[in-house]
Amino acid sequence: MFHQTKLKTFVLLAILVGLIIYTMNGSYFGRELVVEVAILAILAISVDMVSGYGGMVSLCHGAIFGLGAYAYAAVNVLMGGPPALAVVAAIVAAFTFGFAVGAVTSRTRGIFFIMATLAFGQMIYVMIFDSKSLGGDDGMWGLTRLDLSAIGVNLESGVQFAIFSVLCIGLTYVVAALILRSAFGRTFSGIHENEDRMRALGTPVWKFKALAFGLSGSLAGIAGALAAQHTMFVSPELVIWTFSGEVLIVVILGGLGTLVGPVLGAVVMVFLKHEISNITTYWHMIIGILLIITVMAGGRGIYGGLEQYLARRAAKAAPASGAKTDA
Amino acid sequence: MTDTMAFWIVQGLHGLQFSMLLFLLSVGLTVIFGLLHFVNLAHGALYALGAFVSFSAVKLTGSYWAGFLLAPVAVAIAGMLLYLGLIKRMRNAGPMNQVLITFGLIFVFLDIFRIFWGDIALGVEEPALFSGPIEFWGIKYSAYRLFVIGLGIFVLGVLHLILSRTQIGAMIRAGVDNEHMAACLGINVEKVFFIVFCVGCALAGLAGAVAAPILSVYPGMGTEILIPALIVVVIGGLGSLKGAMAGSLLVGFIQTFGAVIAPQIASVLVYVLLAGVLIFRPAGLFPARS
Repeated sequence: MFHQTKLKTFVLLAILVGLIIYTMNGSYFGRELVVEVAILAILAISVDMVSGYGGMVSLCHGAIFGLGAYAYAAVNVLMGGPPALAVVAAIVAAFTFGFAVGAVTSRTRGIFFIMATLAFGQMIYVMIFDSKSLGGDDGMWGLTRLDLSAIGVNLESGVQFAIFSVLCIGLTYVVAALILRSAFGRTFSGIHENEDRMRALGTPVWKFKALAFGLSGSLAGIAGALAAQHTMFVSPELVIWTFSGEVLIVVILGGLGTLVGPVLGAVVMVFLKHEISNITTYWHMIIGILLIITVMAGGRGIYGGLEQYLARRAAKAAPASGAKTDA
Repeated sequence: MTDTMAFWIVQGLHGLQFSMLLFLLSVGLTVIFGLLHFVNLAHGALYALGAFVSFSAVKLTGSYWAGFLLAPVAVAIAGMLLYLGLIKRMRNAGPMNQVLITFGLIFVFLDIFRIFWGDIALGVEEPALFSGPIEFWGIKYSAYRLFVIGLGIFVLGVLHLILSRTQIGAMIRAGVDNEHMAACLGINVEKVFFIVFCVGCALAGLAGAVAAPILSVYPGMGTEILIPALIVVVIGGLGSLKGAMAGSLLVGFIQTFGAVIAPQIASVLVYVLLAGVLIFRPAGLFPARS
């Protein structure tokens, strides 16, 4: 079950403020990294929402993300629609596909579920790759960004777009946290704990799973819309299945089922990847080995480790203070 | 024999050949899962390793058959190392951790291929024995592809005989059915697991060596074929030989004929089939354990 602890609030705010300060003082390249962090963090939050709290380990969120980006591009470029409408389209498309996958796979468990999500994600890739109207192999370009001049924000500016992206992380986190804290979210976690019991209690399990997957998908759609606006270009590269795996790595690295861990994981992953690729072009191998070590070590992730460390320290301090009150 | 008839027969043979390739790959995947409850996403990478080893063997000796024989052995050794180093420890770690570990392995293998063989697509010549087309009933068809079909059927037959007629086959079936009961009856389940894992890897390596002349050899070939192979496994039912064959034939024929009859929707047909199976038969068409 999800609890918004003080530590979570603190870590989240520290990351967001840190990223904004980094953006203000950073170079052009630094800002690119910040936007990359934001996109990955939002996607990782959406994956953690279903995988960490519902046990639905998804290997299709990369595809849902790509679908969101393509929906944005389709409305924006093909239909000449305004970016605001394109964002809505991205969220709706991502929600619909997520809901459908959640509904179809609701009876499958464990590895069957993982494989099924992988396959359905690949379906999106194949459809996009084969579709001439969506640009096929070449993708689509000439996308425009949201016009927020009404509130004095110019997203064409690199700095302002980066800060906007960072604020999107915060927004996504709040939405995910509110969903998980609601009665709906509690029931969803309950299904993860004991599906048969929830069914016996009269819960329509498939509806909860499908809706949760759809809601999580719509958050992935937000990440997709952000990515489309960032590069102002979409291509089938966005939808490749290994990206879903990379997002899962980020979630595990940060801490599965902590919601704030994935944000931390995204920061670490993007900057680490950047540093490693400065040294060697074979960063895949390093990330792969790192992942294997993390999982073999028992995989609580960075945030989980931090939480455990603080809890242990508090436990050590507690008997001491208890002795004082007795005396 | 009319031209249209010949055309459909050739398409049918194409479908059969693709199915057999999928079968060689997915049979290892499905039996390893059925017995060890272990999901090996790196199975595709082992297939690619087989293709690369066969490429190098052919280049060194000039004979296709050197690669054909060496690839399964090399991949089985790689599988052995993986089993002893990683997989044995991860057997009871839950599907997510298994997926993550083997996903990490995909990344590692990908860069190993890049380091040793480079990023470009490499070609392997067909063996002289099966080069060029064969003519029958007025149809011309690649002899090598017919060889692949024959090999698939041969492997299916051998595996079926081993599983149904030999002692080790009975041990494997017992292990799939109820691991603990089998162990209680004095079967060394660990050893059986180990053998099955290595044989599954060897078959993946064989599939790689066989695929090399048809498809080209490149680092991403494993990740590309992994998804169809997983679909075959899910459709067929995890852990079953019959399921792997049925799934391979379904996927192979739907992809081949779909591309001819309805190219607009061909790419999606297999996924529609998958969705249908998941909704109506969540355990697959022929689950090993009822």
